[in-house]
Amino acid sequence: MAFLAPLLLLGLAALAVPVLIHLTHRERGQVISFPSLMFLERVPYRSMRRQKIRNWPLFLLRCAAVILLILAFARPFFTDTTSLAGTLNGGREIVVLLDRSYSMGYSDRWQQAQAAAQEEINTLGPNDLATLVLFEQNAEIGARSSVNHASVYAAIARAEVGANITRFGPALQLAKSILEQSEFTEREVVLISDFQKNGWTGDEAVSFEEGIRLRPIPIDGTDASNVTITSVAFEREPFSAAEQVTAMARLVNQSDLNVTNLLVALELDGHEVATQLIDIEASGTATVSFDPFIVSEDQLRGTVRISDDALLQDNMFHFTVSSGQLVSVLIVKPDAATLDSSLYLENALAVGNTPTFVTETITVRDLNTDVLEGRSVVILNDTAPFDGPTGNALVNFVGAGGGLLAVLGESVRWTPEASDVLPGSFGTPTARLSSRSNVLGYVDYSHPVFDIFNAPRSGDLSSAQFFQQRPFTVTNPESVLARFADGSVALAERRIGQGHVLVWASTLDSYWNDLALKPVYLPFVHQLAKHLGKYVEPTEWHTTAQLLDVASMYAARGHRLEFGRDDPVAVAPTGARLPITGTDSSVFLELAHQGFYEIHTPGAVVDVPLALAVNADRSESDLATLDPQELASSVTGRAVTERLGNLVLHERSPEDAEEQQALWRYLLVAALLLLTAETVLSNQLSQRAR
Amino acid sequence: MATQRHTLIPGASFVDPKVLARIGNLELLARILVDGFINGIHKASSLGVSVDFAEHRGYMPGDDIRRIDWRLYARTDRYYVKEFEADSNANFSVILDVSKSMGFSSGGLSKLDYAKFLAASLTYLANQQRDRVGIVTFDSEIIERVPPSAKHLDVVFHTIDRAIAGRPGLFGDPLFRMTEFFKRRGILALISDFYEEPDIILSAVKQFRAQGHDVMVFHVLDPAELEFPYDTASSFEDMESGERIPIVPENLREQYKKLIEEHTLALAKSFTEQQIDYAVFNTSTPIDYALFAFLSARERMARAR
Repeated sequence: MAFLAPLLLLGLAALAVPVLIHLTHRERGQVISFPSLMFLERVPYRSMRRQKIRNWPLFLLRCAAVILLILAFARPFFTDTTSLAGTLNGGREIVVLLDRSYSMGYSDRWQQAQAAAQEEINTLGPNDLATLVLFEQNAEIGARSSVNHASVYAAIARAEVGANITRFGPALQLAKSILEQSEFTEREVVLISDFQKNGWTGDEAVSFEEGIRLRPIPIDGTDASNVTITSVAFEREPFSAAEQVTAMARLVNQSDLNVTNLLVALELDGHEVATQLIDIEASGTATVSFDPFIVSEDQLRGTVRISDDALLQDNMFHFTVSSGQLVSVLIVKPDAATLDSSLYLENALAVGNTPTFVTETITVRDLNTDVLEGRSVVILNDTAPFDGPTGNALVNFVGAGGGLLAVLGESVRWTPEASDVLPGSFGTPTARLSSRSNVLGYVDYSHPVFDIFNAPRSGDLSSAQFFQQRPFTVTNPESVLARFADGSVALAERRIGQGHVLVWASTLDSYWNDLALKPVYLPFVHQLAKHLGKYVEPTEWHTTAQLLDVASMYAARGHRLEFGRDDPVAVAPTGARLPITGTDSSVFLELAHQGFYEIHTPGAVVDVPLALAVNADRSESDLATLDPQELASSVTGRAVTERLGNLVLHERSPEDAEEQQALWRYLLVAALLLLTAETVLSNQLSQRAR
Repeated sequence: MATQRHTLIPGASFVDPKVLARIGNLELLARILVDGFINGIHKASSLGVSVDFAEHRGYMPGDDIRRIDWRLYARTDRYYVKEFEADSNANFSVILDVSKSMGFSSGGLSKLDYAKFLAASLTYLANQQRDRVGIVTFDSEIIERVPPSAKHLDVVFHTIDRAIAGRPGLFGDPLFRMTEFFKRRGILALISDFYEEPDIILSAVKQFRAQGHDVMVFHVLDPAELEFPYDTASSFEDMESGERIPIVPENLREQYKKLIEEHTLALAKSFTEQQIDYAVFNTSTPIDYALFAFLSARERMARAR
């Protein structure tokens, strides 16, 4: 038996209190008024009885209550390790949380971690229970043991380093839920990890209940060089009918060692096409730019690879580059147009390479079916709607997926015979030269055209002044995307087949408005062209643990999957076939491994697999660590016991022993009972005395 | 008796019909010669017109010739006048101790209330026999004084009613000062609990005796003061001084009883020597019974004298 706060035992001096109460209480307790003490004062004063304890049970009750209170505050606990061993071996449950994030592949960390986990299993007694939880970004139960711990031992040996990042929260939450259902009094979580700082934000809100302990076992690797390819950027330029792409890899030296003559190689479709040797200083960065290559195929798989170092997973970076990133735009201007009528439009479309707009300007007389071939977008810049074959050609063009933008300027004339391609009809121009100019008053920011202007300070469309416009009457009010301040339609949309038609009720030059002179003009025109051209931002790579919406991906490419008939199949980098099945339009594929996933569509006439490049999250390459004790303290709300050597029984601190035994509670309850009995007894005695 | 009845005269409630029925046929006779104005039942200090023959004296010119004893003239041939003793009324005053200790009660009637019953009953009795009645209340000084008068019955009752036990008491000085009030010989009833040394009490009361008053002393005590029935060790507080001492009663009960008995005996002895009637009144004893015993004993003694 020992005490956490032995100094409080000095409080046993308080035992004098009941004694004093018993010896002095009765003197002060009752005062009797008497006419005169004349005769009483003459009697020789004797106080023999007050020096005696009159009620021994009451006195002993009070003494015992005081002793129990003092003992409770002194926090007693049993130090007998034999009995402790009995308690421990009488049953305890541990949860081994084994970090298998890809940073554990650094140097020999994984081997250390496996050894530490197996050692924990070796310390278990026959009545103990162990659970292995393997975690990275998510946590899963690896194995649970009952009498025989061999299954857990084997599961540790079988476990491999994953490709995901570290997240302590889910693992600790899982351990907590396991141990909260445990019937054992001795419950412990053993956390084996390299304790990366990125894995713990502090907002996880995981808190163990009283009695569950957390013992961190930090794994350190030897200091070795570690260079990470954090990203690959691309510069695209049109080259003939294809694209010329320049790949630039960004490298970060995560270690404190200088790296020299690092081989950086670019592989395309499995063939090494370029190599470079570079030097990176400790904790420095470098950018490697490779010679441009031509993308003419539908999809080109590429990998940037560096020579092996301590952490292999971040030494390669996969990507896919797709062709067809060009948006072909045909601008049709009136025969009698001025030279600069399409100047702003052409110049705006000439800027930028995501995507690259290939622009051609023709006059109305040159417009025919052949010219429309291969175009993504046609802009009728102040040219009248067409009837006859040209009109039909435009309708067919849009119905096949093309985009049409009608700019209603000075020259357009409404004819009833015109083909039905616009979302409404327009009238004669209204000039506002004599009155106040018009501005854009309502904009549908949820539409893809205006989506990028939604955020604050991302372009003020209302800054443009409109002096002239054409009144436009829509057949469907919901097709209006923007209105002027006076309520008239500025931009309206109509969907025909797989394509879209947009009508702009003013000009896109500087004659009727000054929009072309405003900063928002260029992104606005680009957004119009991108939307009409169905441009989808190419995704060169994905990260591990990402959920890929396969249906949406197909839809973006213009395909519609019918699940149940032509279910696609994904082939993982490991070679495993993952059938993608579903009944609705959202089916997800979890990208668990680094490398290239291939998605095959069995129902297709020609099965050209769709490749997806998947890279491990590079934040895991940052090996900066956090203090394991700090993490444990924030989870358990108390300090953590250090692990001492390889003791079969973990030596516990007096605080832990006391906390677990909690003898003070029993002592306090006993003291409370005694005090209650004392109250009852003394009340009875005092009533009897009266 | 503790509950006062509502009457026109507040103090009259202290006159209990039961008490009067018991003592109504008794007389509060002065055992001395008193100085009165009118005919009464007491022996007057001067000669008067009663039926009791006193003496013969020689005729003086101016004497009423009807009072000449003609039979004696026939025998002696001298004029003698026949003189008779006079009966007079008396001054009856109550001297009531209203010191704080008189407020003590161990459960029933307080000593002061008992004393008030005593005073009221005696005053009523005296008034009934045409004596002049008065009262003086005192503690450490004289509080109220009603001079004796035949018309002062109501005032006396009022004074009795108002009396409260409020301050510490003192014998000696107030009693000495009272001697100035009682010039004419009469009957004095001193009611107190006599917490004072017997010598001091006697020296004060003796003054009245020396003035020729007939003094009756009523020593009122609570049964708790006589028996000391306490058994719990407690702090005992003096009602007048506020002094406290811790007491274990059972240890000193016998000694206390012995001391209070010695005190009353010493008082009885001293008063008897001074021809002062003295009686201890236990407040647990019915007042009619106690007063009857006292007055009948006094009557018997008066006849014996």
